[in-house]
Amino acid sequence: MSDMSEDLQTNRLKELKETALPCFQCGVCSSSCPVFRVSPELNPRVSVDSIISRGKVPSEGNEWLCAYCLMCDQRCPMGVSLAEILMVIKNISAKEGQAPPDVIESAESLMADGCQSPISSRSEKQREDMGLPKLPRADPEDVKMLFRATGAAEVLELNRSTSGEASE
Amino acid sequence: MTTSHPKGSSAGPPEVEVVSSEPELRIGVFPCKCGKNIGAVVNIDAVAEYAKTLPGVVHVQVNTYTCADPGQREIQEAIAQHGLNRIVVASCSPTMHEDTFRKTVKAAGLNPYLCIMTNIREHVSWVHQHDPASATKKAMDLIAMSVAKAATLVAQPELDVPVTQAALVVGAGVAGMQAALDLADAGFKAYLIERQPTIGGIMAILDKVFPQNDCSICILGPKMVDVAKHPNITLITMAEVESISGYVGNFEVRVKQRPRYVNMDKCTSCGDCVEVCPVDVPSRTDQNLTWQKAIQIPFPQAVPSSYFIDPEACLGMDLIRCGKCIDRCEQEAINASDRTKYVDFDVGVIILATGFKPADPSKTPRLGWGRFPNVITTLEFERLINAAGPTEGKLVRPSDLLKPTSVAIAQCVGSRDIGTRSACSNYCCAESVKCALLIKEHYPDTDVTIFYQDLRMHGKYFEDQYLKAREEGVKFIRGRVGEIQQYPDTKNLRVSVEDTTHNKLSMENYDMVVLSMGAEGAAGNFPLPISCTSDSFYIESHPKLKPVDTSSAGVFICGGAESPKDIRDSVIQASAAAGRAAIILQKGRYPIEALSAKIMQDICSRCGTCVSRCPYGAISQDGTGKFTVMGALCQACGTCAGDCPQDAIYMPNFTSEQIEAQIETALVENTSEKIVAFACAFCSYRGSDLAGVSRMQYPTNARVIRAMCSGRYSVRFAQKAFELGAGAVLYSGCHLPADCHFQTGNVWMAKRESRIRGWMKRNNIEDERFRVEWVSAGEGKKWQNIMTEMAHVVTTPRKNSSTPKTPTVAKSEKPVKPKTKAKPKGKQASKPHSPGKGTSTKKTTRKK
Repeated sequence: MSDMSEDLQTNRLKELKETALPCFQCGVCSSSCPVFRVSPELNPRVSVDSIISRGKVPSEGNEWLCAYCLMCDQRCPMGVSLAEILMVIKNISAKEGQAPPDVIESAESLMADGCQSPISSRSEKQREDMGLPKLPRADPEDVKMLFRATGAAEVLELNRSTSGEASE
Repeated sequence: MTTSHPKGSSAGPPEVEVVSSEPELRIGVFPCKCGKNIGAVVNIDAVAEYAKTLPGVVHVQVNTYTCADPGQREIQEAIAQHGLNRIVVASCSPTMHEDTFRKTVKAAGLNPYLCIMTNIREHVSWVHQHDPASATKKAMDLIAMSVAKAATLVAQPELDVPVTQAALVVGAGVAGMQAALDLADAGFKAYLIERQPTIGGIMAILDKVFPQNDCSICILGPKMVDVAKHPNITLITMAEVESISGYVGNFEVRVKQRPRYVNMDKCTSCGDCVEVCPVDVPSRTDQNLTWQKAIQIPFPQAVPSSYFIDPEACLGMDLIRCGKCIDRCEQEAINASDRTKYVDFDVGVIILATGFKPADPSKTPRLGWGRFPNVITTLEFERLINAAGPTEGKLVRPSDLLKPTSVAIAQCVGSRDIGTRSACSNYCCAESVKCALLIKEHYPDTDVTIFYQDLRMHGKYFEDQYLKAREEGVKFIRGRVGEIQQYPDTKNLRVSVEDTTHNKLSMENYDMVVLSMGAEGAAGNFPLPISCTSDSFYIESHPKLKPVDTSSAGVFICGGAESPKDIRDSVIQASAAAGRAAIILQKGRYPIEALSAKIMQDICSRCGTCVSRCPYGAISQDGTGKFTVMGALCQACGTCAGDCPQDAIYMPNFTSEQIEAQIETALVENTSEKIVAFACAFCSYRGSDLAGVSRMQYPTNARVIRAMCSGRYSVRFAQKAFELGAGAVLYSGCHLPADCHFQTGNVWMAKRESRIRGWMKRNNIEDERFRVEWVSAGEGKKWQNIMTEMAHVVTTPRKNSSTPKTPTVAKSEKPVKPKTKAKPKGKQASKPHSPGKGTSTKKTTRKK
């Protein structure tokens, strides 16, 4: 299994590089990025640069800060899908067990409750007032099935153990 | 018979060849290594050994550089020694050197049309660098195809036409003016056409011009006057070319001139009319920063020095509606009854100097131009700082007319962006530095920051400008501006940009931002089929060696119409174009391609289809009902032949027999993995060449057959290829609807697609195995993609494994359609010379 996933990783990196290659490091992405304004650790230009010029996925984990607002995608003069690249970097680092604890926590709560933000009684009341039907209750079992089917469960398990090790 | 004698070729070329009915075919094949360009990939010696075994080949000679002098000499010696009567040079693209080798064989006494080329560089060695074995095999196939074609080549008489001693120059910016002046000074008549009411173009509205920062109109003004006064120049302003017909040496031009409503001879440019005109319109010259009247002159130095009336703004040139200017003009120069005029004249050559458009800043909304008054373009800046501009040279912010204390200049706006134009505009770096220096000159204490991506100060003296700007305290920060926001109360601007050398976000405030604008192409809507790049600049004949020629003989390009460039480069190119045009004019006669269509009267059924296919009106019917082709009008596209139901049109060097011979030779073995690809000489073949030049790698399955125009590919060719088991067939041409060098060939070809697909369906051939694609000369990448995708189609096992056989079955069962099928097949073996012989005999008789 590890062999296969390694192959997959190299292929992914190759694909990433191809996607990133048109980038000419102009800085339109970073100067448009709302996260970069407040957390200078996330610089989409630098993340892409490390793929192109260093040929490896950055390991500092700064990409987890990306809010996926797509502003960089929208404005990139070379049409590079930066948000997509950052997403792939996140996926790769999750598969290596490098996901940050808060992401693991929210994944856990998703598994447990079947949703990220629970339905509040207030919003239920509002819907009732507006004549809208009741929201369906999320079934955690469905979500678990999805986690298993997509391999997310394994990734989560891996990250749980690595973060456990780290805390020990 | 007059022929142009190629300079540099040895002894005076002999009389042009009498077509003899040579009994024996003696083909010489000359594979070229092109140094390592071909030799490093293709095993040339193996190719040469293979070529010796081909029917009709009596001599094979390998050379390292066939196009160099010794290589050409060897061909000539071989012709003499071995009595060669057909030459196949296997080297680079015919676009590159067909002319060279035709001249070579001509100097050796052979008719130039008996020499053809096999492209084993752009189509083989450069695109199959990692597969030498298959590349060598492909080179062998291509040579065999050429030898098969060469076997039926027939000598063609060379013709020439007289040249009208006049030139048309379209566009009177600095490039067009220079070209017209050069030609006029050389003694030729020049018609200079300008769309605007004045000549001068973009240069006339600039303030200072880099790198010396001298006053633009001060150096351009005298030149404009020279143009107006030159006895050899006929200047037609407010005019556009309506139509052009004819061919090199003999273009008939019709120009449409809009009414000026002011008599240029009477107008003294006193300006009295302006005082009374009640209508204000935004000033075009001043980039809409101020107003002018409905009766106006673009700027004081305008040439012709005469006012004109903007008919859209004018209230009415009569005393009832307004007529104030008529009343006021003492010269009685207002001509209310002026109408659109058409001017017809003949010229021998055409120079296109139609320029570029400044890029549109509203296409980059993140920078706020149009929403924020203090964000201005470089052209607006030029007018603001120009002594003749709206503020009389006082640089102020548009929002409050105050002096700016800090200015940011953002580069690469409208260029280097796939949303606008992906290429660099070539002048915007130098323009930005010039603007910075001008600001510093006016207000030394104003802060100026240039946000650049890559500062390209490439021209002569440019670097000095850059150093000077640094000395003056201009800040240079590497980073492209991400967005500009405005403070609603002060109208100051906050510029976010990443200082990429320090990985730091900079969010500084500026009083004003200048956007350094790039250029947009404006070419393409001209009534001549000159191919354009995807961003609307004209394509030159060769990017290095024929930079001002176009694919149409006698038509040249210069200035911003060719690519964005600065004044100096435009002038250089204009003089070059004028020089190239003068070569044609001064010779007086121009040799034309001898490959015009001929109708084989004994086969012709007189249906008249060809007449509707010919874009040049070259085919006519005489009193007896016979159709004939007028040689000088025919441009040899072959669209008539492509649709001739009887196959009765003989296209020299691209006969049906020759093309079918190429198809057959290409499909001798491994047929199901082969792609028979047809490419037209002006767009798709050049696109395939570009893929080669750019070393874009793709699989080796394709065997390309070149024709002059996609209009030549008849339905029959695809059918034949599939009958012989071809894996796939590609018909490629110039982009629809208007890119075709021959005007409409691609349109007629596109109409054949459904017929081919219908036939394929009836014969159980999968749809995906036939493709019609439009590839321009600039789309090497597209060619690579098509080749790769089609190779995938032919190498993927088909669902129905019996399919490849189906066509063969269909073929044998085909007596239903006898004309198209079995006949030529049978003929092929028995009498390989049939249509060719017919014509050659005809020609022999004609010669006598």
